[in-house]
Amino acid sequence: MKARPKTQPKTRISLTAIVWRIFKMVIKACPIYFTATCLIGVIHGLSWGLNTYATQFFFDAVATAVTSQTELTMVYLGLLALGGVTVGSQVLNGVHNFMAGALYGLVPGHLVKHIHHKAARIEPICYESPDLLDDINKAEKGAGSSLGLLIVVVVLLTFYLPYFVFMGWYLYRLKPILLLSLVFIFIPVFITQLIRGAVHARLEDESAPLRREVDYYERCICDREYFKETRLLGAYRFFRDLYLTALKAMQQKKWNVELKTNLMEIGMRMLTLAGYFGVLYLLFTALMNGEISIGSFAAVFGSIELMFGIMEEIVANHIGGMTRDLATVRNFIRFLDLPERSGDTERVSFDGGIKFTDVSFAYPGSETKALDHVNLTIRPGETIAIVGQNGAGKSTLVKLLTGLYLPTEGTVEIGGVDSRRISPESIYKGITGVFQKYQRYKLTLQENVQISDLQAQDENHLDAAVAKADLELDQETFPQGYETMLSREFDGVDLSGGQWQRVALARGFYRVHDLIVLDEPTAAIDPLEETRIYHKFAELSKEKTAIIVTHRLGSAKIADRIVVMDQGRIVAVGTHEQLMQEQGKYAEMYQAQAQWYAG
Amino acid sequence: MQIDARRYGLWDLVKLPLQAGPGAAILTGLNSLLSGIVPTLHVVVTASFIDTAIAVLQGSAERSEIYSRLFAVVALIAYSWVSGSAAKLARTKLGLALQEHYHTAITEKRARLHYRHIEDPESWDLISRVTSRPEGQLSDGYNLLLSMAALIFRVLGVLGILISQVWWAAVVIILLSVPLFALAVKSGKASYEASKETEKYRRKSSYLSSILTSRETVDERSLFGYGDPINEMWHERYETARKIEHRVRRKWFIRTKIGSLITAFLSVLIVVVLLNPVLAGDLSIGLFMSLVVATFSLVQMMSWGLGSYVDQLAKFREYLKDLTKFAMLEESDSAQMLPADPAPEFQSLDFKNVSFKYPGMEKYVLRNLSLRMEAGKHYAFVGVNGSGKTTITKLIAGLYDNYSGEILLNGKNLREWDPAELKAMLSIVNQDFAKYYITVRDNIALGDVNHIESDSDWRVNRAIDQVGLAAAVEKLPQGIHTPLGKIKADGQDVSGGEWQRIAMARAIANPAPLRILDEPTAALDPVSESELYQEFERISRGKTTIFISHRLGSTKLADEIFVIDEGRVLEQGTHQELMALNGEYARMYESQRSWYN
Repeated sequence: MKARPKTQPKTRISLTAIVWRIFKMVIKACPIYFTATCLIGVIHGLSWGLNTYATQFFFDAVATAVTSQTELTMVYLGLLALGGVTVGSQVLNGVHNFMAGALYGLVPGHLVKHIHHKAARIEPICYESPDLLDDINKAEKGAGSSLGLLIVVVVLLTFYLPYFVFMGWYLYRLKPILLLSLVFIFIPVFITQLIRGAVHARLEDESAPLRREVDYYERCICDREYFKETRLLGAYRFFRDLYLTALKAMQQKKWNVELKTNLMEIGMRMLTLAGYFGVLYLLFTALMNGEISIGSFAAVFGSIELMFGIMEEIVANHIGGMTRDLATVRNFIRFLDLPERSGDTERVSFDGGIKFTDVSFAYPGSETKALDHVNLTIRPGETIAIVGQNGAGKSTLVKLLTGLYLPTEGTVEIGGVDSRRISPESIYKGITGVFQKYQRYKLTLQENVQISDLQAQDENHLDAAVAKADLELDQETFPQGYETMLSREFDGVDLSGGQWQRVALARGFYRVHDLIVLDEPTAAIDPLEETRIYHKFAELSKEKTAIIVTHRLGSAKIADRIVVMDQGRIVAVGTHEQLMQEQGKYAEMYQAQAQWYAG
Repeated sequence: MQIDARRYGLWDLVKLPLQAGPGAAILTGLNSLLSGIVPTLHVVVTASFIDTAIAVLQGSAERSEIYSRLFAVVALIAYSWVSGSAAKLARTKLGLALQEHYHTAITEKRARLHYRHIEDPESWDLISRVTSRPEGQLSDGYNLLLSMAALIFRVLGVLGILISQVWWAAVVIILLSVPLFALAVKSGKASYEASKETEKYRRKSSYLSSILTSRETVDERSLFGYGDPINEMWHERYETARKIEHRVRRKWFIRTKIGSLITAFLSVLIVVVLLNPVLAGDLSIGLFMSLVVATFSLVQMMSWGLGSYVDQLAKFREYLKDLTKFAMLEESDSAQMLPADPAPEFQSLDFKNVSFKYPGMEKYVLRNLSLRMEAGKHYAFVGVNGSGKTTITKLIAGLYDNYSGEILLNGKNLREWDPAELKAMLSIVNQDFAKYYITVRDNIALGDVNHIESDSDWRVNRAIDQVGLAAAVEKLPQGIHTPLGKIKADGQDVSGGEWQRIAMARAIANPAPLRILDEPTAALDPVSESELYQEFERISRGKTTIFISHRLGSTKLADEIFVIDEGRVLEQGTHQELMALNGEYARMYESQRSWYN
């Protein structure tokens, strides 16, 4: 049904909900691989713990052997165990990392596919709302991060948790109070990173505008967009001064941030250090009191640093990264949750024409109405020209009559059916168009034309469309014929503006249609070409319903009826002669344009 | 710091950081090197601690003896913890220094580049590669070298202790390390090459992805319903790239892991070798234990470290190659010059048999073009898209000088002109004119950059009046001092039409005697364009102007019209003359007029 995205509040989705959603998607995409990676992770984690255990066993054996000069078998057994565990955990480490890495290639493919799938189904109007556009742009980044998020959660649960559980059990068995060491390790590191993250994020926000300025002034100096003009104006020094000033300010800010957070970190590390020493002291007294063996002391002592390192890695890299990624992942989920347009699937017959009843339309977030109480009936087979100045509402009208946008008020009936009631696919079925900003796809010529109707892969049809658009397949321009790639970037050819125009027209004609729209695709084209295209179009669309949008009134004469628009309203409808006789807006505009060609 | 035209090598990864921020660079370096030595100390200190502890336990030493050892252990740990944070600070400082000096130097070099590199897609790719986050590249490279050095120190340290205990074990290890290292180098190279190969596929698939999600394609995407089939196509290409990478990664992992397995066996071997001395009492238990821990943790370091270091090093080598190429790119002397003040007088401009093609292109854009323009007149270039109109203006501006034939400005060869004088000669409003996100005043005052600081507000205001922007500027919150665009927090957006007028005002504020208007109005309707051109001509009385358009209505008032076709002047004359000639111009004009009859 219809959706008005502009009123949709940005809901916060909880972490567990997010993880669960992603988990389901990932499990669906690669169930076996994912489960296997998790299992390997568990074993890998345990192998690290086992390592400490084996080390202790070995050291004890050596110590006993040295002091009592016996039991050499235990020493070799211990060494065998230690070597075995080391080799095993190296292998597991390789396999685990490899598999987790492979997931980073495999899963985003599926997640991004979801995004593309969704992008094809949300309402085109969504792309006019800056907020949503932002979401869309970030969604893709979120797809990448969401696997990261999931993997962090999974690795925490399947790798680090087993490791720490094992170590906890091991330390507890050794001496229950040593279990405290885990807490000592965990808490200060955690607090440090938490505070650091928060402070950093806040200060980061403050320096972001400065960074934008620096980047921008740099672009003014040497980005393509500005290069020529800045050079010709001699404005280099002007922008360099702006750049340097902004850079200094930004650096100052950044330095302050770093200094503050790092000093704080050093402070916090002292705390951690105190925890470390506490553990060391516990170990030491236990050793002195003969509660633990020298072997266990050395093993634990060796692995404490590892534990600290791992803990810091978890909190700083994984959890820190997770909170950073969470925002983009939310974007991703929110994007997937955007309302889709749906409706009944029906065959729309254009015999019913198109009917606008009291239609108004406003773009999301905009107060002014782009269309204001419009009433219009287009009969089947008619050629209609829509004219008016820039910003009169011509393109918006076209978007509504092709069903791309739905009216804010009133109803648009296409082939006798309310455009709000039926599915967009049903509406689009018989409609084709060439828009003002037609696309120059970096694909082959054939793909460029057939993309308008990929279901109907028909060679004859392709030839016909190309012929209709007067696109000549000469060897020089299209060395590989239909297979010629139309982009230098992908080792193909560059077309001129005029040639692209014809490709776009061929694309429009290729789609099976009853209604065709030509929305000023000629803005940047020379007059001879323009004249030719409009004539051709008029001739080709004789039996079809055709809509021409133009701000050049001369071209409108070929239409059966001309719709004159001004500030979102239809101010007049009629043939050229009728409108000239009316002496209204149309005649006024016409004369203004014609005078440039008088005499 | 300046980017000189020379070869850049690995050594520059050290030299440039030292140049940019000597203090910070030395501090970071020192810390890294120390972090390579600390583990060795750690081994020694821990060993002595454990030995003393055992001695205390056995009663052969006083309990008080242990405290100095404990203190040493604690001090060492405290050092490595605190130094980590301090080093991070130094690294940050170094990053900032590199940004300030190196990044700025790169930007300056970029600003000096010859214009043809900007339009040439190949060199532009190179420029983009070198200039994206250059300070990061350099500091990452520096840190990589330091990490490698630290790893070497660390290995040497452990080896050193080994040598002092069982010398031949160390020799065996060194011998075995050589093939290990070769293996790492080889896999590093292979993975770099694979990432190059997949780049092509990645680019294609990311292009398809952009079709599927971008705002520009939404209309066609919805109407034509190509979302799902193109999505399949995207996924296919994505998978192709992924599978190649997957294969390479598998190889890389197997190689690296074989390496670390060898190291693991090696460690076991070392332990076996050490067993005898320790059992015989030649090696203390403490040293034995800490050596064992140190060797096994080396396995961990070497297993990933070596492979990935070599891997990364290959990437930095590639960056340095790019940097060398970038540094060698030709510069243009005029790039940073201010225009001459006062502006020279314009007398005449002659093109004599000028032919020109863009570097790297086959096709000539201008072919034996000849024309003459004189001071005080209004000229128009008309012709279809691609006929070479805009190219002519680029040659006049001196952006390209690899043409054949002669261009004479005031009778003097254009190539011999002082670049500053030439800069002061003309102002151009292009089709893709710049929208500077600075204040309205600065946007316009930039036209006369020599007087931008002085009190030129009246000049700006006059230009604003002349292009009919006064009412729009009035509405802005801070008048002419309102920043435009979204860079500053209080920046304002203005419409496309207003930007056009700001660009025109900039040209008007420019004291240059020759003004060129190169279709900045393409998106306007013909009436608005014609009116704008007429207005501009009125304002430019006394100056020489060149109008470029493909719409003949807007250019017909010119004193002389050049019809450009396929890079040469096809016809020339006044509107009346050209109509009387009944050639191409007349045909185009009639065709446009026919709509209004």
